[in-house]
Amino acid sequence: MRLFRKNIIFLGSVIFICATSIAFTTFYTKPKEVSAKLVSTQKVFEAGETISLDFELNTPVKTTLFLHASFGSANIDPVEPTTTRFVIPSFIARKKGKISYKLIYESEVLVKGVVDVIANTRTEVSLESYIGPPSIVAGGKDYTMHVVIPTDAYDNPFPDSTVVAIKHQFMKVENENTLYSKDMIAWKNIFSYKQSGRLLLFSKVGETASKEFSVEMYSALPEDFVISSDRKHVYADGNQITELSTSIIKDMYGNVVSDGTLVQFVIKDASGAILQTQGSTLYGKAVARVLHPDHKDTWQIKAYVYGMAESNELTLSYQPIIDDFEVKFAKENREIVVGPLVSFMQQLIPDGATVKLMIFKEQKKIDTKISTSSNGKVRFLLKDGFYEAGIYDIHISALGVQKKYKKVLLQ
Amino acid sequence: MIHKNRTIYRSLIIGSFIGVLMILIFGISQILSYLNTGADRSTMLHQSLQKEKVYFPKLVWKDTLNPGRPIEKQTLLDIEQDYLNAWYIRNVAYQTNTIDGVEDYYTKNARQHIYNLVAYNRDRDIEIHSTTLDHSISLDFYSADGQLAVISDNQVQEYQRVYQKQQLQLEEKLQSNYQMLLLLEDGFWRIRHMVKKSVDDRKLINRTQENGFANIIDGKIYLNDKQYKIKGINYYPQETPWNMFGDHFDSKVIAKDFDIIKKAGLNTIRIFVPYKIFGKGKVRPEMLDQFGQVLDSAASKNLQVIVTLFDFYGDYSVLDWTLTHRHAEQIVSSFKDHKAILAWDIKNEPNLDFASRKKENVVAWLSEMIDQIRQYDSNHLITIGWSDMTSATILQNKVDMVSFHYYKNIDDFETNYQQLVSKIDKPLVLQEFGLSSSRGLWSPFGASEKTQAHYYEQFQKINQQNDIHYLSWTLYDFKEVPSSVVGKLPWRKHKQKHFGFIDSNGKKKPAFEFIRE
Repeated sequence: MRLFRKNIIFLGSVIFICATSIAFTTFYTKPKEVSAKLVSTQKVFEAGETISLDFELNTPVKTTLFLHASFGSANIDPVEPTTTRFVIPSFIARKKGKISYKLIYESEVLVKGVVDVIANTRTEVSLESYIGPPSIVAGGKDYTMHVVIPTDAYDNPFPDSTVVAIKHQFMKVENENTLYSKDMIAWKNIFSYKQSGRLLLFSKVGETASKEFSVEMYSALPEDFVISSDRKHVYADGNQITELSTSIIKDMYGNVVSDGTLVQFVIKDASGAILQTQGSTLYGKAVARVLHPDHKDTWQIKAYVYGMAESNELTLSYQPIIDDFEVKFAKENREIVVGPLVSFMQQLIPDGATVKLMIFKEQKKIDTKISTSSNGKVRFLLKDGFYEAGIYDIHISALGVQKKYKKVLLQ
Repeated sequence: MIHKNRTIYRSLIIGSFIGVLMILIFGISQILSYLNTGADRSTMLHQSLQKEKVYFPKLVWKDTLNPGRPIEKQTLLDIEQDYLNAWYIRNVAYQTNTIDGVEDYYTKNARQHIYNLVAYNRDRDIEIHSTTLDHSISLDFYSADGQLAVISDNQVQEYQRVYQKQQLQLEEKLQSNYQMLLLLEDGFWRIRHMVKKSVDDRKLINRTQENGFANIIDGKIYLNDKQYKIKGINYYPQETPWNMFGDHFDSKVIAKDFDIIKKAGLNTIRIFVPYKIFGKGKVRPEMLDQFGQVLDSAASKNLQVIVTLFDFYGDYSVLDWTLTHRHAEQIVSSFKDHKAILAWDIKNEPNLDFASRKKENVVAWLSEMIDQIRQYDSNHLITIGWSDMTSATILQNKVDMVSFHYYKNIDDFETNYQQLVSKIDKPLVLQEFGLSSSRGLWSPFGASEKTQAHYYEQFQKINQQNDIHYLSWTLYDFKEVPSSVVGKLPWRKHKQKHFGFIDSNGKKKPAFEFIRE
């Protein structure tokens, strides 16, 4: 009986001890709060350098490192699964900017911090240049902008206040400027010179020079100019050509205007009608041609580069070449021969002079016939199918002379 | 016989010859037409690119003064659009680990860095779901020829969720300052350099409640400094349930219904703002106008309104965040001073989307949306309309009052409610409850109108005893229920049609007596 009680007590105490020990173990094996700290001290790295971050954990657990850098984020594992050394992938470590990191264990952030990657100025510099606009106007008001982006071998823009030398050459001028970069770039406005021509530019950082760039400087707006004429004779023969030409057109700084500048010649004749002809400049000079009038006339000529410049006014007079001409009626007045038409020296007029025949009946113009001369003569035929027998008035005009025949009887 | 065979051979040979020719011609024509398809030459200029805006983070131009040259308004818009697209494309690239479209918004050198990262993450099965929420940009430089710009983008708020092997690793919100150099290439402003200048740990601007119309003090709702008890009802017009706004909008009908509600002794209604009909990221002005009319009408009848936003919205993906933010901004900031509003209810029963959209997506979206709405409106309360009591504890620290719906057995309600009270120290709102008097062909054992009345009688007693804020579902029986609400099954639709206090003929059902405590 006693033995039995003893057993019960023994059993009871065993159970008690077991229970308490289990309770304590469960209490103590409750997961300890995992904590970590950064061991590595370097905070600033040059691009391209290996960035390794060492952490110290109070309990060895598997962690990952989350990175947030200029171009995006990544989650990396330790170099070896058991350690807490992380090496930032080289393509991230090569890019300038802050890299935020977070050491993560089961979605919890244990440590966070930032390392800074700066441009590696010891690597070979590469220069990206942008120049625009590529053509400007001479005279010192217009300008082109030269922008330089100096980068390191990993394509990182250099830090602010990097010294950038930019040089340009124009004629005898060779100019150098020292710039300090800001906001990734160094830039300068290069104003045009008074002369037109080609500007050459380049830039330099340290020992690295960019390639050569060029900017075209075109002459500024043309100034007013003078026109002159050249003709073989003064007669209004409707055959020869008068040549109109400008002086050499220049801008206000004496630069000859660009080839191809369009000059418009405007001719006002005695009756107020406007004729136009045009030419484009070559070496500053524009030439235009115009046919002589075929009757006595006076021309007032002025030339324009529209919207920019104009010329003086030139007056040209043309003398008539004939006072009168012969007209022969034949075949019951149905054949009319005009001519011979003779020119200023009594020579036959060159083929192609225009003769106009107007036919009136009872004061009403019923027809106009136009023909051109051949061997000095023009022949008109009034066929009876078209013109009934009767009385007509006939007017003939050629080379500014008009002759009227009244009451011509057609059979 | 020989003759006959010869004819057969002949016709076979000729036939196959013609057949081969036809196949050949068909093949050549297919090749030619294939070569003719594709880009029209004019598309090289990217002039006619029709892009639907899908990315709307908040963007402010702080300053456009720069030493280079004054910038034109159009160029500013172009830069803004392309810059945001660059972020969007980048977000998509890191989420899907593909590189589609990256080349349009990053120059040849810059895109390489994104490609590297995408390849790295793809190898390790990492997906990063991210979006930016806020940009405040200043123009540092704009070149004389208009081809190069440097901008600083400060306090860029980025939200990211990192997944590895489909497992969520980390969710975080960062704020950084960036500087970018952009070049105009092929009609796109492309990013050439992108440098994260610093990490901006300044606290995000979160406005606190200041002199709001509605307040919570000691777990009680106060409206204009007076304690307020919600006695309300969920409201849709009888003819246009779930489709109150738009072409069918009728302010007269609504005003009449408000009279009925007011006369019945209620003080609050709950209405719904459908996301798509209101215009998603670009809220249609006529919708705001109609919404304003409803609020004005409620104000004139002295009714308070709980506005449930994002009705029929179900995306929640991080890439879609900015659109919903702009949607909320436009509505909330337009009516932040409206006295008729009691609370913004962010979303109706979002916990029902947990299964299909993942809980983490939905909760993160809700959490951010609360922050967004608080930025624009400090006058009104914020709540979320959970469909059951179990979900009600989610985000309880961020909302002003906790709303839940109850359609289960009325006998279990009080116990469950008391349990919830012990867990939450914010005002609890029974935002939907009710019983459908659906007895009929489709549900022979459904509740009768009498049972419904009895149900309400009991429930209102409980509400009174426990001083519960309540809103019943709903004023009317409906003739039609859209399939988008409960699906196409006729018995489900049938049930949904008979929750009202007033039947489809306009007659008050017995339950109407118990529309309030």
